[in-house]
Amino acid sequence: MPPTLPDFSSSVKLKYVKLGYQYLVNHILTLTLIPVMAGILVEVLRLGPKEIVNLWNSLHFDLVQILCSSFLIIFIATVYFMSKPRSIYLVDYACYKPPVTCRVPFATFMEHSRLILSNNPKSVEFQMRILERSGLGEETCLPPAIHYIPPTPTMEAARGEAEIVIFSAMDSLFKKTGLKPKDIDILIVNCSLFSPTPSLSAMVINKYKLRSNIKSFNLSGMGCSAGLISIDLARDLLQVHPNSNAVVVSTEIITPNYYKGNERAMLLPNCLFRMGGAAILLSNRRSERWRAKYRLVHVVRTHKGADDKAYRCVFEEEDKEGKVGISLSKDLMAIAGEALKSNITTIGPLVLPASEQLLFLLTLIGRKIFNPKWKPYIPDFKQAFEHFCIHAGGRAVIDELQKNLQLSAEHVEASRMALHRFGNTSSSSLWYEMSYIEAKGRMKRGDRIWQIAFGSGFKCNSAVWKCNRTIKTPTDGPWADCIDRYPVHIPEVVKL
Amino acid sequence: MSEQSSRVNVHSKLTAVSSKPVEPGKTHLLTPLDQAMGQHSLHLVFYYEKNPFGSFDLDPIRVSLSETLSLYPTVTGRLTRGESGNWEVKCNDSGVRVLRAKVSVGIDEWLRYGNGMEERDLAAWEDMPENPNTWSPFRIQVTELEGGGVAIGLNCSHMNADLTSLVLFFKTWTEAHRQQAIVYPPVFSSALHGRAVPVSDSKSAEHYVAKSFVEAPSVKMASTAFKFSNSVIKKCLSEIHVTCPDATPFDLLAALFWIPVARLNGSKHDHTHSISICIDFRRLLKEPLSYGYFGNALHFSVLSLGEKDLIPGELGHVAEAVHGHIAGMKEEEILSVMDWLESRKGEGGKYAQPFRMYGPELTCVSMEHMINGDQSLMYATMFEDNVRPAHVACHVGNVEGEGLIMVMPSPEGALARTVMVTLPEEEIAKLCEDEAILRLEPTMLLSGGL
Repeated sequence: MPPTLPDFSSSVKLKYVKLGYQYLVNHILTLTLIPVMAGILVEVLRLGPKEIVNLWNSLHFDLVQILCSSFLIIFIATVYFMSKPRSIYLVDYACYKPPVTCRVPFATFMEHSRLILSNNPKSVEFQMRILERSGLGEETCLPPAIHYIPPTPTMEAARGEAEIVIFSAMDSLFKKTGLKPKDIDILIVNCSLFSPTPSLSAMVINKYKLRSNIKSFNLSGMGCSAGLISIDLARDLLQVHPNSNAVVVSTEIITPNYYKGNERAMLLPNCLFRMGGAAILLSNRRSERWRAKYRLVHVVRTHKGADDKAYRCVFEEEDKEGKVGISLSKDLMAIAGEALKSNITTIGPLVLPASEQLLFLLTLIGRKIFNPKWKPYIPDFKQAFEHFCIHAGGRAVIDELQKNLQLSAEHVEASRMALHRFGNTSSSSLWYEMSYIEAKGRMKRGDRIWQIAFGSGFKCNSAVWKCNRTIKTPTDGPWADCIDRYPVHIPEVVKL
Repeated sequence: MSEQSSRVNVHSKLTAVSSKPVEPGKTHLLTPLDQAMGQHSLHLVFYYEKNPFGSFDLDPIRVSLSETLSLYPTVTGRLTRGESGNWEVKCNDSGVRVLRAKVSVGIDEWLRYGNGMEERDLAAWEDMPENPNTWSPFRIQVTELEGGGVAIGLNCSHMNADLTSLVLFFKTWTEAHRQQAIVYPPVFSSALHGRAVPVSDSKSAEHYVAKSFVEAPSVKMASTAFKFSNSVIKKCLSEIHVTCPDATPFDLLAALFWIPVARLNGSKHDHTHSISICIDFRRLLKEPLSYGYFGNALHFSVLSLGEKDLIPGELGHVAEAVHGHIAGMKEEEILSVMDWLESRKGEGGKYAQPFRMYGPELTCVSMEHMINGDQSLMYATMFEDNVRPAHVACHVGNVEGEGLIMVMPSPEGALARTVMVTLPEEEIAKLCEDEAILRLEPTMLLSGGL
């Protein structure tokens, strides 16, 4: 990791200088206000009480002036409170835990691969190499239809998977929050690759007998970052509708999308994508302020689709034999890095403390005016956030982000462990990671969390949450029975 | 007889995995006795009148199967040749193959009019390929009998398990499903290897030597089952009480079937007939093995009787001979077989090729050890309280020579027995007309086509 300051930044003296600088800049307002107030106090004391009374009497107030001023003050206050955006609270969320019968050990995956792709040993070899380096563990799950030889991805099986995942997550959410189905005002379901008619949101409405005036949305085709897109949509809707509850369901249905061909770039998702789903309850009701877990602070969405390379880097298409699969291009990591930079540039000023922003500005000016060879200053996001949830798209994504943002192993632990235990569950992976941090007892009141998701398009979306109340362990959730075994050491290459 | 295509329609194949991952690097070495059983396969079918499976994929029974598989890492492993060329099971957590099949008839019609050989399709065997690393040694088949009922078939290579082990594996599954304590948890290690001072010239070892040399001609076999009720066996035992006071139902039934088979086989050149008696020796050792020992613990021993003793059909007399033979079985005989199998090791420690264990003589398998008073382990396999199997059938693959007789427990319990008979086709029809057998009023099962 290249240091952005000269080499002797590791010396102790400079560390204290840096701390002093940060404290000075971050609290500049307080530090300038205190001398001003002290000055006024000294002046007041000097004048003495009699002088102050005289000063007061010399001001001529008449009724009109008093009325106008108070009217003005009340008007300004009202405009301020009306135009302030509503606080959006995340009351609670529930993640789906698949049954043990859906477990896919590496040996079973490779055996099925050998039996089904018996004519393509090179493709089997490729899958084995991917699996060895994937960072997945032996407890990730695939839906029942994929356990068949050959897999039986019928529409009925896909609907079956959708039902079991979504309904389990929602039942769990109802139980945790005490929410009644009739109280749901907004429902957003996102599932990228499976979009039947009627939609999955209609399926949920039918199952739970939701109200007829519910505002329901079904987002499909938006990739792994769709979870944060749904949160953004829910936020915008909750600004418009007062006193409402919104339920967001993020999932990815694997059954219909298991690639049946042997094109290598398209076999990769088979190795990484696994069954999972999450249901989240958001609310703008004042009464939820006390029991909500988090408050939504920012959502920043960046879309690089205008660039052709970015648009084509995750592309669903037919292979030479006519079998449909998702092709991942070789410059995926580079494009992800670009998208991340773009997102950081927008989110940086919103979340970074003044000290970091000033440094960034100074180095920017310096590079433009003095010496273009100065290394660009990468702001230290560790000062803006306590926890990071990086979408567990794959080991490479997490490694890349850890390097770019200069994060420690503990910061990316949640992402790595979620990838190990649950695999890449697409849009719901961020919630498994949050759940991990909570289960470890690390979530304290006031902690700030940054969720980053990448998705096809190519998109990079971020959400910033602030923890509303300290979350006590043990938590119920998908990690309940295995949190004590984590963190595990994940070897670079698992020998298969 | 015309060859019908089987009525069993296998429509799906999947893999069931254990609920907990297996620690990597575990290997289970097969004992010399296991390796010697390599030519045979075991097929076990449990019939239930009511199908306990609801939806197949997400049924709680699948969850209890996964939990059971966590206790049996060798069942989810794969066979591989070890360093010395001997078979071992690599416990790599691959899972068990599960097949789903349908039959258009109901359980009653199947049991009454079905064909004994057709029953094998309910636990269909797949030959082991050259490289068995993607071949599942254990297979579970769930056949839905569309007219009512289900048949759950288990099959495995005889190298991996014997009948007792397979039955107890199934029983553990049902116990796990009903969340009860497991009566016979599996045990994988044993001292079933040759002794430090081998003694391999006993009578039993000679019997095995004889087996290893004989090449029995391949004859088409047929199977059927005879069910004898408790009262009939009781009456018969009291009849032979004078000659053989301690006769078990196995002694009686082995004698009952041996006599007509010997007659059908005609006179031998040395005027003696032999049967090979197969017993489970878990409890016969000085340091007994638990019934949960998962592997082969069978012993074959030969009993010969002269024609003049056998042909007249003196049931009590023959039963006495069988009883005496079994009662006289000593640990020494059993261990000497282990020594003999070890002595056949080649260079590098590789065991000799397996030979036919069931044959060439008529083999009689005793399951008396699985019966405890009124209850038998086989029929205590219940997925729901008090719902016992309607019938349990067992077949051994690759039986040659004179045939196989297996005396198994019956749903009625106590002294009732079901005898599964596999004989050359022409003989079995004649056996069904034998008067001595018909006198005991057996219910015939799966005798269609005879």
